[in-house]
Amino acid sequence: MRAAEKLRPYLFTAPSMLIFWLFFLYPIGYMIYLSFTSWNMIHPVKEFVGLENYQELLADPDFHQVMSNTVLYTVLSVLIALGLALVLALWLNRSGWVYSMMQGAIFSPYIISLVSVSLLWLWLMDPQYGLLNWLLGLIGLPPSPWLSHNDTAIYALVLVSVWKMVGYNTLVCIAGLQSIPKELHEAAQLDKASVWSEFWRITLPMLSPTLFFLLVVNTISSFQVFDTVKIMTQGGPVNSTNMLVYYIFEYGFEFFKIGYASAAGVVLFVLIGLMTVFHFLILSRRVHYR
Amino acid sequence: MKKQSWIIAALTAVSMLAGCGQQAQPAGTSADHASHGAGSADAGAIGGQKVTIDFWYSLGGKNGEIVKAMVDEFNQSQQAVEVKATYQGNYYDNHAKVLAALATNTQPDVTMVEIASIAAFADAGALEDLKPFAEGQNGTDMQDYIPGLLGNSYWQDKFVALPFNRSTPLLYVNRDMLKKAGLNPEGPKTWDELREFSKKLSQGKGDAQTWGFSTPIDIWFYEALTFQAGGEILSEDGKQVKFNDDKGTAPIQFWSDMIKEQSMKMPPGEKYDAWDVAEADFTNQKVGMIFTSTGSLNGILEKAKFDVGTAFLPAKESFGVPTGGANLVMLSKSTPEEKAGAWAFMKWLTESDRTAKFSKETGYMPVRTSALESEPMKSLYAEKPQFKVAIDQLQYAKPRPMAPGYKELQETIMSEIQRTILGQATPQDALNKAAEKGQKLLK
Repeated sequence: MRAAEKLRPYLFTAPSMLIFWLFFLYPIGYMIYLSFTSWNMIHPVKEFVGLENYQELLADPDFHQVMSNTVLYTVLSVLIALGLALVLALWLNRSGWVYSMMQGAIFSPYIISLVSVSLLWLWLMDPQYGLLNWLLGLIGLPPSPWLSHNDTAIYALVLVSVWKMVGYNTLVCIAGLQSIPKELHEAAQLDKASVWSEFWRITLPMLSPTLFFLLVVNTISSFQVFDTVKIMTQGGPVNSTNMLVYYIFEYGFEFFKIGYASAAGVVLFVLIGLMTVFHFLILSRRVHYR
Repeated sequence: MKKQSWIIAALTAVSMLAGCGQQAQPAGTSADHASHGAGSADAGAIGGQKVTIDFWYSLGGKNGEIVKAMVDEFNQSQQAVEVKATYQGNYYDNHAKVLAALATNTQPDVTMVEIASIAAFADAGALEDLKPFAEGQNGTDMQDYIPGLLGNSYWQDKFVALPFNRSTPLLYVNRDMLKKAGLNPEGPKTWDELREFSKKLSQGKGDAQTWGFSTPIDIWFYEALTFQAGGEILSEDGKQVKFNDDKGTAPIQFWSDMIKEQSMKMPPGEKYDAWDVAEADFTNQKVGMIFTSTGSLNGILEKAKFDVGTAFLPAKESFGVPTGGANLVMLSKSTPEEKAGAWAFMKWLTESDRTAKFSKETGYMPVRTSALESEPMKSLYAEKPQFKVAIDQLQYAKPRPMAPGYKELQETIMSEIQRTILGQATPQDALNKAAEKGQKLLK
């Protein structure tokens, strides 16, 4: 009886634990193992090479560029998508069909497949016949090369990413705003607090758990950007939009170097882990939980 | 309050959906393979039973439909082998999928492989030696394959690939446009003439701008121009890089100069996106001349509302092109029964009358000498001489490099060429950088 009692929780959690082991822990372990080997995915023997893949990775100037591209992309996308979402949320957080419609409209990109949408953006950004350059022309600005120049391509991808994420962020922020107790705002208004200090002292702190959640989720998803890179730029021009996940894909599935790709995968894994730890240890202190 | 819970409910639902979508992306490809794997696993192991084989191909659009129709014809023509054909995206996509499938034992039995990737697959031991099949009971006359198309078929004495949809790059000219400008409608014969023609044909601004010439800044055309300048990409044995000399820089300099003087349009987009742009610009009469594959010939003839001519790529020191396209390979992991079925299918696809018909419908070259001499081909060449140019050009053609590391090297070369075209490096510096990396890859 006792034993059965002890066993019960394990039985209950077994299905999800099985999935967790099989699809999370096992692949991660296997990737770490592969990163110490030289293997082309076909040869029966996986040759053990120690840290060679990591040494090569760190010595590759392309990898340095890939890392700085990824960081630049992530920082820009997350900051803009979050900042814009906060502004939009404050503006759209009211009732009325116009606002509901606006909310629906900005949210819609989030539910569309990024692959098909990437193709549309490719047309919009065509340097010769694209709609965006036509619009720039209308307001008297010079045309941008968008994806076809290495100075602008990464910002073009940031634009798509912001467009994609901002709706989701806005909606989550609105939900966060609505969960702030009305009494707090009423109290502030009774005390004749300025709009500005009401925002800094009440809205923002009360919204901080929401913003923190979005920050973590957005950072991780931006760091793993792949679809837009694969469809729109394939890492080019001149590697200017080559980012970590695409780099891993290229080495693993085009160049027959799964060991090397796994080493890059481990780097991605560690970095995302570190970022998450950083977020929770450092930034979460500034989050105000009720 | 009501509204809030509605929003949260909607968000949860959507984020769950979206979550699934995101995870399905990488997993999607492997799911594809799994279904094929199932097909190949239970493929008739018992003698006399029908064998099912998987065939992956990488031709889309109209050419893809033609491949599909050929497979259907094969399946109806006999009872022993059932071919399941699957389109796997362009050469790059198919390459990645075959590789991933090999790792999980869900590979097809026959696939198309772009010729410069043959060495990588062969070196990894993924490809079956076809010699025993070609010389066996159900064999074929190996001498009949056009010798100029076999340069990417052998790997260390093994015969690993049958030529299938094979091409050379061609110069396509809008003959009407050239005539109107008072130029020889046969097209330019040398680099200097190409530049001169292009300058005359380029005019206008904004939406009305037209260019004389356009070509994707692609490794295939770079190889062609390097050959024309008298250079080489790799040494004969595939162990040394050879492109970082003045013959290798000449093509880049040539393109940069023409782009700068606006007589050449660099089609935007990466890889095959740029090819599509160049072709569309040509059929829409935005550019007068392009380089593209002979495999696009029939498609262009159907779309163009003007007189289309084809010609050799213009010469510098001499004419010169790489051959291109894809070969058919058999995967060594298949069972003996599957291999026998796979061979029957591969042989059938490349038989004389089939390859002639395929050539006529697409523009790719027939792969057999007997096909060239057959009546249907002769009458086609008489009626539409554009089709014959690729075959005639074959006398100046070389194979694409046969080195396992070339797939990676070509990405580096293309990236460095782009850097030069964008004015951020000199051709020599860029190629030196590519060569330095290349030398490491070839060892």
